[in-house]
Amino acid sequence: MGHAHSSRVETVIGDPLSPTPQLPREKLEEIFADIQSDIRYDHELNGCLNCGICTATCPAAYYYDFSPREIVQLLWTENLEGIYDAMQEKIWSCAQCYTCAARCPFENSPGGLVMLMRETAIKHGMESAKNVLRPFSRVMLKLISTGNQLAPDMINPDHFADWGPNISKVKAPLKLLRKAIPMPTLNTTETAWEVNLKTSVELYTIWEMTGVLKQLETIDENLFDVITDIMDEKRQDYQDFLDEQA
Amino acid sequence: MSAPNCGERLTGHGSEWRDAKLSPEDARTATNWVEQKIDKRSMLTNKDRVEDVRDVMWQLEKDGEIVVHRIRDEHEPVDVKTLYGWTKRIPTTRLWHHKSCGQCGNIPGYPASLLWLMNMLGKSYLDETDQTSCTAWNYHGSGIGNLESLAAVFLRNFHQAYVSAKAEGGPEGYYYPLVHCGTSFGNYKEVRGYLLQSAELRERVKKILGKLGRLVDGKLLIPEEIVHYSEWAHVMRDEIAKHRVIDCSEIRATIHPACHVYKMVPQDAIYDDAILEGNRVAVSTGLMQALGANVIDYSTWYDCCGFGFRHIISEREFTRSFAIDRKIRVAQEEAHADVMVGHDTGCITTLDKSQWIGAAAGKEVDLPVLADVQFAALVCGAHPYKIVQSHWHASSTEKLMEKLGIDWQAKKAEFEAYLEDIKVGKQENLYDPRRMITSGPGFKPLPQVAQAAAEGSQ
Repeated sequence: MGHAHSSRVETVIGDPLSPTPQLPREKLEEIFADIQSDIRYDHELNGCLNCGICTATCPAAYYYDFSPREIVQLLWTENLEGIYDAMQEKIWSCAQCYTCAARCPFENSPGGLVMLMRETAIKHGMESAKNVLRPFSRVMLKLISTGNQLAPDMINPDHFADWGPNISKVKAPLKLLRKAIPMPTLNTTETAWEVNLKTSVELYTIWEMTGVLKQLETIDENLFDVITDIMDEKRQDYQDFLDEQA
Repeated sequence: MSAPNCGERLTGHGSEWRDAKLSPEDARTATNWVEQKIDKRSMLTNKDRVEDVRDVMWQLEKDGEIVVHRIRDEHEPVDVKTLYGWTKRIPTTRLWHHKSCGQCGNIPGYPASLLWLMNMLGKSYLDETDQTSCTAWNYHGSGIGNLESLAAVFLRNFHQAYVSAKAEGGPEGYYYPLVHCGTSFGNYKEVRGYLLQSAELRERVKKILGKLGRLVDGKLLIPEEIVHYSEWAHVMRDEIAKHRVIDCSEIRATIHPACHVYKMVPQDAIYDDAILEGNRVAVSTGLMQALGANVIDYSTWYDCCGFGFRHIISEREFTRSFAIDRKIRVAQEEAHADVMVGHDTGCITTLDKSQWIGAAAGKEVDLPVLADVQFAALVCGAHPYKIVQSHWHASSTEKLMEKLGIDWQAKKAEFEAYLEDIKVGKQENLYDPRRMITSGPGFKPLPQVAQAAAEGSQ
């Protein structure tokens, strides 16, 4: 896509006081082109009058140096340095509630634009993305290999000390408590529900064919290796099952 | 380069921001004006360029590009009106439960209460293992994933719903998918819109679905409607209320509406002029009112819960601060609420689990939090522990039960005794466990649907 070459703002404005080292113009254009080439871009960005209703209603703006209005303005004015700067930290503040999108008179979706910037940060292997996603390893492992983001054995009091002593008000082994749920699919501890082996294998094909595994490899090579080992084994198990049926 | 901004960085307000220096009276006038507009339906409807993507869907079907999974008379649909007054059909039986990983992993009484209500009303459904989550929690939190992967996951799961009855000798399209999670609901609607509008995206995912053997007559399968469980509960509310056995007329309930249910693709959310004057999304409020509870308004109704997708996992300072300051405290201090009721996974988790830590910051709060169907099941006589599974809730659900006249200590003792029964294999289930595997390892054909059809029943 050649969007970056037809920028409305040819001179980089950027933030002159930013501690982030400037990248070559070509690299900044490449990053912006990746954001802009997503088919969602023109749907999520229609214009901006700086009314600020998005920021006024934004939960993240209460606690962070983050403003959806600023994100929209940076993209709308094609402020390449500012966009790069926002990708170092600010985009990770967004809570993804889409209140901004619901209220914007222009039908922009600042939350949706943040997702395009996050995907691009990952594609370019930005350190900010690696740092932010480090605590996600276990979640990613569960999700990629089973399709479940959350599993009962992840709700460990050590990891959720701030949730207090009442994570379970009945003292009994987790396995027994899970058996006491009257939905047989939920009598599990390592996944939220029992996931069919065939389902996991199909999901893995989706990850492969859509470039998600590539994203993962860029961000965390070790995790990528662990997941590919697990999934190769699952694929083999399923193939063995099919061979038995034949 | 532009001139330096007097040393200011690009902040939330921007360097051009200046304090208006309004007098207190003028500031109050301005705030009053905003409050008259805010949270109102007009906030969402006073815009241009809203199209009904279902028109595109029917055209694509006519052009032979896609197959539409239709809601048929056998699904006993009920029509409702959405934001712009458009009609949406909500199927009420023959439902394929598309579960939520957060609910099932963390708040299992949420789906169990829903299935219990369906049993109470004699509704037919399938809860099976051949499904993944929508994967959108991870996507919104981490950015790992993309539109193509989200679309392929959506189409794979909904195709499975379409063919699932075959395992029981039934026809294609017998079961209609019912989405439990609010984020799945919002994500699927958004993705469906892009699929209908983009031939390029359809072409890309068609290759994937083809490889998985998940096309219908060589075409992508798109559902006529994407339906959230809260919409089912909404259209069934009067039927559910007929089964109420516990008076809840003394209960002051606050509703927390889920952002991904009504702010994402807002044109698809249900509104009803008879519920909060049609100014706010109707689901949950309608159910609570039908049950006889008092729904109390509060000033931060429109705010999100603070879940944040990423934040609930790795930055909970934000999550708990927002949940306490903007939701729980307001519901307690302004509305004097007895309970906060929601209709989504992340919200219930956040609002329920973020209270205890408040004491550490001198913000002691104590408000029971339940999903709408858990509250409904409770007042319809469901067991608070075997069905509603209230022991997984960190908030003081016991306080609510006491106000409802439920002897929770006796019920808890019953549950603890039941755990001993389970150890010797006496487990009670809401459905026949043999139905949960529909293919692959462990599958055994069970011609339940075919048999039911032959007997002329559901």
